[in-house]
Amino acid sequence: MRRWIWEQKWTELRDVQERTIHAILDGVGDIVIAATTASGKTEAAFLPICSLLVETASPGIQALYISPLKALINDQFRRLDQLCEHLEIPVHRWHGDVDAGKKQKILREPRGILLITPESLEALFVLRGPEVRRLLGGARFVVVDELHAFMGVERGRQVQSLLHRLELAVRHRIRRIGLSATIGDMNLAAEFLRPGAGSAVETIVSTEGDQELRLQVRGYERPIAEPVGKRRHDALATDAPEAPEEPDSEDDLSIADHLFKVLRGTHNLVFANARTQVEHFADLLRRRCEALGVPNEFWPHHGNLSRELRQDVEAMLKERERPVTAVCTSTLELGIDIGNVSSIAQLGPPPSVTSLRQRLGRSGRRGDPAVLRVYIREDTITPESAPQDLLRLQLVESLAIVELLLRHWYEPPTVGRLHLSTLVQQVLSLIAQHGGVRAIEAWEALCKTGPFAEVSSAMFTELLRSLGTYDLLTQSGDGTLLLGVKGERMVNRYDFYAAFSSAEEYRLLASGKPLGTLPISQPILEGMTLVFAGRRWRVVAFDERQRVIEVIASKAGRVPYFGGGGGDVHDEVRREMLRILTGEGTPAYLDDVAQRFLAEGRANFRRLGLANRHHLRLGTTSYLFPWRGDRATNTTAVHLRALDFDAGAEDGVVVVSDAAEDALAVSLKRLAEAGPVDTVGLAEAVLNKVGEKYDEFLTERLLCEEYARRELDPVGAWEAISEIAAEAKRTSA
Amino acid sequence: MILPERIRPKHRDAIIQSLRAGVVPRTGQQHIQVGRAAEVSAIVRDLERVADGGSTIRFVIGEYGSGKTFFLHLVRSIALEKHLVAAHADLTPERRIHATGGQARALYAELMRNLATRARPDGGALQSVVERFVTSALTEAKTRTVSAEVVIRERLDALSELVGGYDFAEVIAAYWRGHDHGDEVLKAAAVRWLRGEYSTKTEARHALGVRTIVDDSNAYDQLKLLARFTRLAGFSGLLVCLDELVNLYKLANTQARNANYEQILRILNDTLQGTAVGLGFMLGGTPDFLLDTRRGLYSYQALQSRLAENTFATGTLVDHSGPVLRLANLSPEDLFVLLKNIRHVYAAGDTAAYLLPDEGIHAFREHCAKRIGEAYFRTPRNTIKAFVNLLAVLEQNPGVSWPALLGSVDVKVESNPDLAPLPEESVEGTHLPDPQLSAPDGKLGQDDDLTTFKL
Repeated sequence: MRRWIWEQKWTELRDVQERTIHAILDGVGDIVIAATTASGKTEAAFLPICSLLVETASPGIQALYISPLKALINDQFRRLDQLCEHLEIPVHRWHGDVDAGKKQKILREPRGILLITPESLEALFVLRGPEVRRLLGGARFVVVDELHAFMGVERGRQVQSLLHRLELAVRHRIRRIGLSATIGDMNLAAEFLRPGAGSAVETIVSTEGDQELRLQVRGYERPIAEPVGKRRHDALATDAPEAPEEPDSEDDLSIADHLFKVLRGTHNLVFANARTQVEHFADLLRRRCEALGVPNEFWPHHGNLSRELRQDVEAMLKERERPVTAVCTSTLELGIDIGNVSSIAQLGPPPSVTSLRQRLGRSGRRGDPAVLRVYIREDTITPESAPQDLLRLQLVESLAIVELLLRHWYEPPTVGRLHLSTLVQQVLSLIAQHGGVRAIEAWEALCKTGPFAEVSSAMFTELLRSLGTYDLLTQSGDGTLLLGVKGERMVNRYDFYAAFSSAEEYRLLASGKPLGTLPISQPILEGMTLVFAGRRWRVVAFDERQRVIEVIASKAGRVPYFGGGGGDVHDEVRREMLRILTGEGTPAYLDDVAQRFLAEGRANFRRLGLANRHHLRLGTTSYLFPWRGDRATNTTAVHLRALDFDAGAEDGVVVVSDAAEDALAVSLKRLAEAGPVDTVGLAEAVLNKVGEKYDEFLTERLLCEEYARRELDPVGAWEAISEIAAEAKRTSA
Repeated sequence: MILPERIRPKHRDAIIQSLRAGVVPRTGQQHIQVGRAAEVSAIVRDLERVADGGSTIRFVIGEYGSGKTFFLHLVRSIALEKHLVAAHADLTPERRIHATGGQARALYAELMRNLATRARPDGGALQSVVERFVTSALTEAKTRTVSAEVVIRERLDALSELVGGYDFAEVIAAYWRGHDHGDEVLKAAAVRWLRGEYSTKTEARHALGVRTIVDDSNAYDQLKLLARFTRLAGFSGLLVCLDELVNLYKLANTQARNANYEQILRILNDTLQGTAVGLGFMLGGTPDFLLDTRRGLYSYQALQSRLAENTFATGTLVDHSGPVLRLANLSPEDLFVLLKNIRHVYAAGDTAAYLLPDEGIHAFREHCAKRIGEAYFRTPRNTIKAFVNLLAVLEQNPGVSWPALLGSVDVKVESNPDLAPLPEESVEGTHLPDPQLSAPDGKLGQDDDLTTFKL
């Protein structure tokens, strides 16, 4: 051990390393360690683990390391192998790219440390259920890397379930060591690591500085192409090819020029929020390469592209033979191995702080600074501009997210989520592992004592029945649940092991003609209006399985350009936006145009009097400003729609069209008096409730329950409505 | 029912210990056996056919707890009486009839570990079978005044023509050489080979000079060879009992399941066409395993037509000559007789030493039925366990009256121990104790809908 430390030329241990080593050597419980990437926390965890393994050697795999990325595993493998060479502890990796021969060898002689992805661990349970105890029975430690990336998402719940099932299979507790980025509330990480007993988890937070970040937010003004509404409408009426985005508007060209200038010759990722944007910018950049007569360096990557095309791009990024920049959606955010890149560009506001942090994590190798450029487009202000434009909300939102990132704030995982989609996967996997389970055993293992603690036995019963109707489950005479014909086919497929599916976008059809695709995070209700490509559209039909929304053109009129963050904007982000708009001072990382946008936004904010009130009336349209997250904003809009108002949520603003001011005020007052309501009932009206991989196998009732807990915020909506109702009373008085 | 005979203490203890552990006793099944006279005589005819150099296959089909395992053990002990060598094994996810990952070899190895003869009813009889082959050859050599080598070669010639027979004969010959030269290492290597315990061919070649080993692909051929070999050694043949075939039904991989059914078809064809000599198969499974047309044996078309039950044998009419033998669930009366038999065995056949009167047995039955409901009839195993435990307490605490004890008898529904919560969790968490036990009046708790869940 000392020799290894000496070989690494470490002269001293950092603070976090020292504390970690003591905690592991002297303690017996679970530990979360939070520090930045290059702080050597992985070594700090494995040094004491290895020394404990050497002291009391036993057969079988003794320590597991679970990481979301194959590349991280490969990287870790190289480093650990060096350390363990002297100690004669074998280190193995196990993921999709490891060849079968190596895996066979591990199966024959399970020893030492195993580095594995959650999906491969799932596969181990499904394919080698009876062998798990032999292979992993001696495990004493599980190290979960990138803990923050697992929190609150399907994959995280899968990891929790796997850790729990692992302990059940080997019949003893295994010490869990979580490695995380520094996040605001460490208790969340502790609770995530050991659900139900987070308070017993020791947390160690690094006090040292961050990785250096170079950052710029650039503003671009989008000229109004006149007459937008008219031209669009005509284009739809005739058989013109669909081109909902203005192909080459001035701002896009300027952004493309700048991207081309700064990115060419290096490896980069450009994140856009929608696929059409990806295609558009990849195309603009490719044309620039062609114009210069140089080989193309810019490639699109999104979920609609064929697997082969995507893999080609990933391979190019990984191989690094020549400079490659991928223009992508969240597909390259996490989970796919492409190594690190020189810089990150973000087109439009990032979906969330978490997401931006993960994107940023792709940039800057050990020691190098991470580089981030954010490109924000705002419409030119005209007399008809909507308040969202006047306030420059795209820019303000981006600023809020960046500021929160710099403050190490992090969206907490949604508490109380059911994760029924992941539960479906885990039930099927459990059945495959044991060759059949009884309903009560499955519920006790996964829900009662497991991570799906929020799922009652009644809900579980309904879930099983629902799986039965889809032929995913069948039951033998003694009550044992077995995989049905469809379930078997599903479990035997290679893509079963992942708990998540890549984010889906919806296709918009207007009278049978495609308008384009867009990611939709807001609830869709029949008759509601959607904003797409600078126009309002009314939803007439919806097909969940085909992912198609049929719309007709709604009333003409200028609407804000919807950049489509596509994410679930958190309450804190909106509060930060409000702080920015009410505040003074200009961050140094804004370019000139962005600075002007900020100044304009603040000026309009004061002019409209929004510092003192949360609503606004312009013409026949009412604008409500809850300054709360998307869930509360959407819930407010769903409430109003249920009362037959033409309400929709756009960029955190509830827009109510053609409503009599009095009627709206009365309704808001009633809603405020009624108090927070049961949102499961509200969810029934929402059309697009299927969001996660196995949601489609749930009953309508379960789906409503899941959706309400995932997407709706009754308390936040009620608070917002109460505030606005109180103001309305004041003004009328 | 008359229960006249006294039971030897050795048998009594063995039976009681097995029952307490929840397993079927290996000997003395006749003392507790109830009903099934027609089925037993059908099997006796089967076994006689095997002893005549024929072959047989039977699918013993019954619901969970209908007593399949007990029945198979009864058949096994009858087979031993008829001078057959008997091997038995439970199928598990790790032990299958066909596999590519070593599970078929594991099944073969388990069968060999449990290989029993009348002299060694508890298994581990493989070496003694080989030993008997050698000594009988030596005797013959003496009477014919030829060398033992000649006799052994003659006898083994019969094997060489079969698939894998040459190496099998080589291994037996190696054993003989070891015997002849007092080479215990060589003898051990030969037995090890026969048990299917070599995992690499190199190792086997090094030790025995043979090029093959028992592996997934030839485990069944090996059983056919072994059946012939037992006859050469002076036994009547080989009976292979495979239990828990429901594990094939539960395989989640369609290809793996079909491969196993294909292998069963091969065995079925071999035995029904008479190509296997002195070999009998008893396969125990549930109706699901047989009848389910989506994942059971019936999902395999060729098997369905061969195993289809006699359409004339409906209602009370029976036909016990087909390959499928149906065991009905034990009736409440059967169960009553069974408990009485156990009481009798417990008293070592001494009616004066009964620890519980008949009304005590009735009360016990009612108590169990209330506790675990329908499962009481479906899985008598736990009922019997609880009953034996009750008797044990009554025996050791002579002052205690049975009605007082009955309330504290705890019968549990069987569950997968690998899914049970870890002990420390239930201690530190705020979980309620097991609802089945804490609920008043023996009523089931709030998770009742899951314990008795139906899709």
